[in-house]
Amino acid sequence: MECVLKTFDLGKRFGKRWAARGLNLEVHRGDIFCFLGPNGAGKSTTIRMILTLLKPTTGAIRLFGEDLHKNRVAVLSRVGGIVEKPDFYLFLSAFKNLKLLGSMTRRVTRDEVMEALERVGLSARAGDKVRTFSHGMKQRLGIAQALLTKPELIILDEPTTGLDPQGMKDVRELIQRLALEEGMTIFLSSHLLSEIEQVATRMAVIHRGEMKAQGSVSELLAREAIDYALQAAPIEQAMRLMQGVPWVQVLSSDGHMIEVRLEPGHAAELNKLLVANQIEVAALYPRRTLEDFFLKVTKGAPGI
Amino acid sequence: MTLFGFEAYKTFSRWRTYISFGVLALIVVMTEIVMRVSAREIIGSMMKIFQRDFIIAGNILNAWFITTFIMNSLHFHIPFLVTLVAGDMVSSEATAGTIRFLLIRPPSRQRILNAKYLTALFYTAGLVMFFAVLCVVLGLALFGSGDLIMHRLGQFSVVFIPEAEIPLRMLLAFAAAIWSMTVVASLAFLFSAMAENSIGPIIGTMAVVICFLIFGNLPLHFFRHLKPFFFTTHMLLWQGFFDSSIRWLEIGQSAVILGLHNAGLFLIASIVYRRKDIKS
Repeated sequence: MECVLKTFDLGKRFGKRWAARGLNLEVHRGDIFCFLGPNGAGKSTTIRMILTLLKPTTGAIRLFGEDLHKNRVAVLSRVGGIVEKPDFYLFLSAFKNLKLLGSMTRRVTRDEVMEALERVGLSARAGDKVRTFSHGMKQRLGIAQALLTKPELIILDEPTTGLDPQGMKDVRELIQRLALEEGMTIFLSSHLLSEIEQVATRMAVIHRGEMKAQGSVSELLAREAIDYALQAAPIEQAMRLMQGVPWVQVLSSDGHMIEVRLEPGHAAELNKLLVANQIEVAALYPRRTLEDFFLKVTKGAPGI
Repeated sequence: MTLFGFEAYKTFSRWRTYISFGVLALIVVMTEIVMRVSAREIIGSMMKIFQRDFIIAGNILNAWFITTFIMNSLHFHIPFLVTLVAGDMVSSEATAGTIRFLLIRPPSRQRILNAKYLTALFYTAGLVMFFAVLCVVLGLALFGSGDLIMHRLGQFSVVFIPEAEIPLRMLLAFAAAIWSMTVVASLAFLFSAMAENSIGPIIGTMAVVICFLIFGNLPLHFFRHLKPFFFTTHMLLWQGFFDSSIRWLEIGQSAVILGLHNAGLFLIASIVYRRKDIKS
């Protein structure tokens, strides 16, 4: 799989404090790559380094296989992004803002600007000054400017901040559409774990500037899963049987499903045990949420 | 050129850019009207010391005299007005947060800075040209034309420039005035490249200009030695075009010194800005 973004031992130090250290990120073409971490973990610092706002103290960044700092113009013309708040020229219209910002990458036509505004539902406000926009509208305009030049990689730093539930859903769907239908690669940082769970194909978790995990979402969640949902019949017999097994702990039961905690590597053994005792197993699957995973790798770091 | 067009469009889309033009218009219009009303009194006080020895005839209080008279205040108010925009040029992007959208685009920081600097110079030139046109046009309407007769403060001499020579000298003087004001723009631009808000660069630049003007005019031995090194001293190079014979060498030297200031200040701004981490 082609690597669109790759960082090598990337680090940034402010004074004596390392905001990011030893980061080796790998984003593949077509990924919706989510970058997770508590407040102050170093997410924005990393994004700023990737978008050349900060100079790395250590390491290198390769985009589309080329060194970012040696081929800045060629590389950045294939990237769109938002870093933190989308701040625009308030005294200019939405249309003019996009036209001017887009023209810094390449010549953009009126139709392209209108198309970008249409995608985020702002075409009716194209001529209005950004001063009159709400935060959510500015956020959508930020996404429009990131899409405007049809980049191959879009870097979005918390793109749903300030959006209402419908707006968040719209952005989520837009992100999925961009990746699936247009083959864009999305690099997304967000605090909203539920949102990431719905869209991410791969992710990385950063904590105190250091990478804690990286991989596909399903792979990461499955890797350390210990809690399982079990659907078995007869359920009472299954419960009785499991109570005598030292590596199984029954957590709860609603009369239909049983939630159990297994010592690592015992899932198949439990299945075998139940079947051997004439208990029908309809389902046995890991129940681990992204939140559980996140809290584990960041050791319950506050601020998320 | 695209980036320059982009910067110029932004600068001239903001109403505050026009405050300076409004202030200049007010100064020129008020001064010329007041001078029109009290013309006799002004001439009387100016020529008092010469009236015993000379007979002065003709239209002394004409557009050219008025223009040079107002130009003498150039180094007080125009630097402030130039600073309002040049000091805001880079730092306002940091304050507004728009710097993040700007610097993640393909053009290098140096190219963006070049475009901004050119815009600051363009604005400075525009402001001085506006001042020149307004002074001359309104002056001609209110006072008419004539030879230029001037008396330099503290000197027992009168400068006489025939009417035919004045337009060219005026043009050169305003070109020199633009050149001198670009140093103020460069200084404000340097501070702007260093700062994250616009107040600091504006106050900082004015503080430097005022300090240098004061030091340059203090009648102290120490400052007299330093005076040739102050850029504010050379900002008056335009006055050289209103001497009886133009002192090209002195004007040229001042122009080169001001040019070196411009180059030095912009070089420092470039180094600072290219290395700067954008944290805002």
